[in-house]
Amino acid sequence: MNHLPVYDELDHAIDQLLGQADAETHNGPELAELLDLAQELRDLPRDNFKTRLRLELEWEAAGRTVSVAGNSAQQPVLAAKPEPANTESLPGLFGKVWSGYPVRRSNMALSFALHAIMVLAVGAGFVAVKSMKPQIDTHPYVSVHLQPYEFPVGNSEMHGGGSGGAHEKLPASRGFAPPSAREQLAPPVALQNREPKLPTQATVIAPEMTLPKSSEVGDPLSALRMASNGPGAGGGFGGNAGGGVGPGWGYGRGDGTERGCCDGLYAIGNGVSMPRAIYAPEPEFSEEARRTKLQGEVTLLATIGADGRPRNLQVVRSLGMGLDEKALEAVKTWRFDPARMNGRPVAVQMNIIVNFHLY
Amino acid sequence: MDAVANLAGLANLNQERRLIEAAQSDPSRFAELYESNFHRVYAFVARRVSNRDEAQDITSEVFHQALRNLGRFRWRGVPFAAWLLRIAANTLADRWQRVARAVEVQADEARMENSADSAEDPAVERRAMLFELVDRLPADQRLVIMRRFVDQKSIREIAQELGRSEGAVKQLQFRALETLRSKMTNTSEEQS
Repeated sequence: MNHLPVYDELDHAIDQLLGQADAETHNGPELAELLDLAQELRDLPRDNFKTRLRLELEWEAAGRTVSVAGNSAQQPVLAAKPEPANTESLPGLFGKVWSGYPVRRSNMALSFALHAIMVLAVGAGFVAVKSMKPQIDTHPYVSVHLQPYEFPVGNSEMHGGGSGGAHEKLPASRGFAPPSAREQLAPPVALQNREPKLPTQATVIAPEMTLPKSSEVGDPLSALRMASNGPGAGGGFGGNAGGGVGPGWGYGRGDGTERGCCDGLYAIGNGVSMPRAIYAPEPEFSEEARRTKLQGEVTLLATIGADGRPRNLQVVRSLGMGLDEKALEAVKTWRFDPARMNGRPVAVQMNIIVNFHLY
Repeated sequence: MDAVANLAGLANLNQERRLIEAAQSDPSRFAELYESNFHRVYAFVARRVSNRDEAQDITSEVFHQALRNLGRFRWRGVPFAAWLLRIAANTLADRWQRVARAVEVQADEARMENSADSAEDPAVERRAMLFELVDRLPADQRLVIMRRFVDQKSIREIAQELGRSEGAVKQLQFRALETLRSKMTNTSEEQS
């Protein structure tokens, strides 16, 4: 059962068949049949070709394409086309040289169309942006700034003080309090010098308020009609010291002390907190101002009562074009957490600055 | 005995017809037709082209065309292989025409060739059977055959790759060829 000589003889004949041996030898009849088979075997398909072609067909049947390039490093690409000079490795939309990439032209065309649409969309976007004219957004913007009103009087409780000024025996005569001012240059007197060398308006230090126009100055609370400055000292009208009008002390008006007035208003600061807006709808922008693109500030003077409601609204700095009215209209509806002194709500005056802006 | 063979052939045709109809309604069933006809188509093509790459390329094209045009196939009692070989003949002819006019006569001959006759070409059938039997060889024998005849490696190179002696590889080569001859003979006798 020794086949070794046959193996060698067969292998040598196969070498000749495959061109790997030069010397031709005569083969026995027992090898002739095997060599016929070997001759046929030279055309065997490559390993895995059948399997990979089946895979391709299955994918195609499933409506897909598949790349089989590189499936076997040992073998050339499956279904490599015999164009010798063409080593194209990627599929093309046109032509049939796909080097093992079974590709549907419809997919390639669809991909090309989608990319073209994307490029056109991007280009159209650039053109649209370049041709677009810049527009100013006229959306109105309103900001509000609350500011303490700088009171013309001091920082203490304002119940202005009156005083008597000429050490007269009679109480102060009846009359109207003189106008208010930040500083008192001359106290009011009952008997005025008709020919003063330096005419000066007599004033008291108190918040501005509308007073009757009259030349008869005096204490509004007095019943005496005869001209008298009162028994106090320091000028003014009243029985105490100071330069004001009334029964109090100081340079104000009323029955309190120091400066100020009789209406119980407090100045913000020195223990008096600032009111805080708790309901503050923004003012509307007037159509006229919007059309003319008017911007600016409207400053309002307001008294914020102890109940948190704004009163006595006055326009301190006007803007016009209906914006003043819009500001007043809005601030009237506001509600505040009132100013407090020692935890007690008090009324104060404050500035409300309304900014009207177009952005 | 002839009646039995005729009945078996008829049964095979009926089975093939059912496979074709199934593949026409569901392309994924085409794989069964592919498996039963791959070696026949490849053998037919390999006999007519000069190199393996071209044979594989055309074989691939034939089956892709067959899959795409399967819906047009009408059953006329002719084996499916005949339709495939006609596609292969046309593909070969087209290719030859593209390559050079010098082979135009050869192309015309190929086009004129009767596909049914091609399907019954004993050389093609024998080669298809041989290639199919190679797939059924034991793994080590098949590996030696593939390395020797496809990759055209020497016995020494194969021995180094397998880590075996050259004598052992020669034995495997001899046994593989013996096995193929034996099975070819048996199969031919069964068919006849």
